[in-house]
Amino acid sequence: MDLFSEITEDRWTCGLADGPCQTVGIDLLVTDPAHGAVAQFFGVVRNHNEGLAAAAVDYDVHPELASKALAELCRDICAEYPVRLVIFHSRGLVRVGEASVVIAASSAHRKDALGAVSDAIDQLKVRVPIWKKEIGLDHEQRWLDGHSLRED
Amino acid sequence: MIRVSVQCLGIFRELGDHFDVDVESGSVLAIREAVSAHLIKQNRPDLDNVLRRSIFAEGDELLKDHIVIESSTVSLLPPVAGG
Repeated sequence: MDLFSEITEDRWTCGLADGPCQTVGIDLLVTDPAHGAVAQFFGVVRNHNEGLAAAAVDYDVHPELASKALAELCRDICAEYPVRLVIFHSRGLVRVGEASVVIAASSAHRKDALGAVSDAIDQLKVRVPIWKKEIGLDHEQRWLDGHSLRED
Repeated sequence: MIRVSVQCLGIFRELGDHFDVDVESGSVLAIREAVSAHLIKQNRPDLDNVLRRSIFAEGDELLKDHIVIESSTVSLLPPVAGG
């Protein structure tokens, strides 16, 4: 994985990668002898969206703001759940079948790891300054709408 | 008059990586109004609609409309869509 940004604190790591995210071995980053559960989520580019065929997604990222938002997200998740957590997200082109986001969490018991992963992906989608441009089979392109960061 | 460079992200990259606007003051509200006028002048009312749901940032700080910027560069962030 070609990381261009990585932040680590006691119980979590987050980062941004150029191109697709590595999925193999992500669970090893959250191993803890006191933890009996590991949960993972991989967000993978699919070959269709809203009835249109897709070949890839090109992710645009504000590096400083996205790194800061990912770190804040990790802090919030770790404040709510007793977990070890990793989150990585892609920048640039990610083709169908490749992962654009990987999240793993471990905890003593399964509910915390599962809850942490589920909340992390839900909040990532509405908090982190990342945008996607869908690339069609004939190379047509369209930016996908998202969630406003404005509070009003 | 202050010249502010607006860095484009997401769908605003259809306008290029950045564009400049001239404003009377460095308030975010003034910049927002100048960007709106720029989008209309560029015949992009669709992006003017996106602008209403967008937020400006300076460095790694998101800016509320009443803030006055300290530098001459802001980023324009449309609604986010990671994952």
